[in-house]
Amino acid sequence: MRKILGHLVWAAISVLAAFALAGIALNRGEPVNSVWLVVAAVCTYVVGFRFYGRFIGARVMGLNNDRATPAERLRNGYDYEPTNKWILFGHHFAAIAGPGPLVGPVLAAQFGYLPGTLWIIIGAVLGGCVQDFMILFASMRRDGKSLGQMAREEIGRVGGVTALVTVLLIIIILLAVIALVVVNALKGSPWGTFTIACTMPIAVFMGLYLRYWRPGKVLEVSLIGFLLVVLAIIGGQWVAESPTWARVFTLSGPALAIAVIIYGFFASALPVWLLLAPRDYLSTFVKLGVVFLLAAGILLVRPQLQLPPVTRFVDGTGPIFAGTIFPFCFITIACGAISGFHSLISSGTTPKMIAREWHAWPIGYGAMALESFVAIMAMIAASALPPGVYFAVNSPAGVVGETPELAAATISGWGFPVTAAEMREWAREVGEHTLMHRTGGAPSLALGMAYIFGSSVGRQFLGFWYHFAIMFEALFILTLVDAGTRVGRFMLQDFLGHIWKPMGRTSWMPSVIFTSAAIVLAWGYFLYQGVLDPLGGINSLWPLFGIANQLLAAVALCVATTILVKMHGARYMWITCLPLAWLVTVTFTAGYQKIFSPEPRIGFLAQAAQLEAALRAGTVANVAETQALIFNARLDAVVCGIFLILVLLILGDSIRVCYGVLTGKKEARLLEAPFVMTRLKPEEI
Amino acid sequence: MSHLRGCVRLLLDLLRELADENAYRRHLAAHGEKPSPEAWRKFCDERLVARFVRPRCC
Repeated sequence: MRKILGHLVWAAISVLAAFALAGIALNRGEPVNSVWLVVAAVCTYVVGFRFYGRFIGARVMGLNNDRATPAERLRNGYDYEPTNKWILFGHHFAAIAGPGPLVGPVLAAQFGYLPGTLWIIIGAVLGGCVQDFMILFASMRRDGKSLGQMAREEIGRVGGVTALVTVLLIIIILLAVIALVVVNALKGSPWGTFTIACTMPIAVFMGLYLRYWRPGKVLEVSLIGFLLVVLAIIGGQWVAESPTWARVFTLSGPALAIAVIIYGFFASALPVWLLLAPRDYLSTFVKLGVVFLLAAGILLVRPQLQLPPVTRFVDGTGPIFAGTIFPFCFITIACGAISGFHSLISSGTTPKMIAREWHAWPIGYGAMALESFVAIMAMIAASALPPGVYFAVNSPAGVVGETPELAAATISGWGFPVTAAEMREWAREVGEHTLMHRTGGAPSLALGMAYIFGSSVGRQFLGFWYHFAIMFEALFILTLVDAGTRVGRFMLQDFLGHIWKPMGRTSWMPSVIFTSAAIVLAWGYFLYQGVLDPLGGINSLWPLFGIANQLLAAVALCVATTILVKMHGARYMWITCLPLAWLVTVTFTAGYQKIFSPEPRIGFLAQAAQLEAALRAGTVANVAETQALIFNARLDAVVCGIFLILVLLILGDSIRVCYGVLTGKKEARLLEAPFVMTRLKPEEI
Repeated sequence: MSHLRGCVRLLLDLLRELADENAYRRHLAAHGEKPSPEAWRKFCDERLVARFVRPRCC
């Protein structure tokens, strides 16, 4: 009886998922309530988790709770430690949740809410969750080895080196693009700039408090830090209203870019405990709190989606970034559906803390499903705004026109009515001078979040909520910038150490300064290029980041496929080959178009050629700036080409190994740790 | 009521894990040390340096 009831419940959830998905996909004309998106997403994740995830865990991986995990076998009370399943779930989720699933869907909303929503749900269930789960499993069976180590051991030396170089290059592009999101959110905003500037002395105060006054009291100091940040947001309003102080904190894009670059250098070179670690604690708690708050706000307010399901920009003429729905929607969403970066986390701390093998199922598959749900919430927040407002905030001046009146007329001409007066009113309500031309996704997400929070507790606090959301986004993006710079510095030091030993010493000051500066200048260059780009920077940098991130996912899926082939031959390789084939198709199409498309807004080389023609014709206002833009476009084309070549290398190597194993020419030697019976008692977990 | 207590305990444990307070406790137990400013600094210097060597997620 219980079994029949169970079947009935799962059948009902499956029907509900199908009904909700069909409802949002086929509905035309009538406004759709956001609850439909929530129901469609949650039911699909639950069904995918219960059936597909369990199938992979039981049949494909052969998870076995009797097998001792590395956390038990190598327990050292430090990084190898058996940890409660739900605590590790939260830990893993906090580590994988970055700005990508928040910003990507907001940008992809230019195609309408439907394409992005479908890809977020389907891509996560069949791709992202599978990748995270597979890599977590593989690393757990190999004593917590990293993706690079597994690539080297399971595929070959070429695969391993390629994976490492790919990671370093991706880090540089990632840092540039997310820093650009912050710069675009804070330019001309004294309130936002003041608040974010305050987080730095607050972090230093927290660092000193922890080091000297109350050592070990991290939760206590994080609470103090959070209260101080809230005070900074409140103080920001006063700063914005003071003519003298508002002038001090009103910075242009280039000025903010330089400030972020300088900050990145110091954060990388200073001791970790002083700035990085306290910011990281604060950012983690704020991030989890806001995600929870946003979910509660959406369920409470249940906003109607004002954006149409599909916009005219599926043809590739979008103002935020150029390119047709295929492949650019899939490149833009990035982390909400499948993220290569997750494979680095799944082969990092988490596999060393899993107490039982079956815990990898909720942690690997489940945490990614939750991350995907965060992306759905971001899509709802963006789609809840009037479409005219959404496009006015996100469209660069180079596309819609410099003045508010001209921009409003252009956007209204696309069929999304908005007026300059309406935009001024929105700006006044959130305490900003203007909200126009803030390409990057962060301000429109903050506006959507403020709208949802404001609708639940009162619109008079719209300004506070908007700046709270901006603070939350900027805080954890900058935490990623400083931590990423440091990681890049260590990778570079490790590499240079092979050439000249002293450079490899992480505490040798000349090496610290040189490598920090090199990494900061590398991403700083791309950031500055994005700030000066008349098309807003996001148009060229975000697709580059999306391509890089998805290519890293392709690397991870290559490793996973090779392991599956060694385990079962060809039987289950479709599980990873399916998302791998899709990713390779999408990223190579996007990469090819970004390099060779004859449309200057899409193809880097065409853009360079167009600028060069204008330079020759003498129709450009600033010769030096145009020459720099030409160089940048060509550089972007080269970087994109390098990404594609690196992944072709690892893909070819992986196919070679798989072919060898399948034809019996190569031994299917798995490098798993040997089976050891667990002795861990339930009360120890 | 006991379920609610269990949930709160789990949440606090999660916060302590994210805040490295649990890891600090494990570090003290493993080294047979008592909480002190020196022990915390030693723990920080080992754990935090290792933590910020790993790539972060986007």
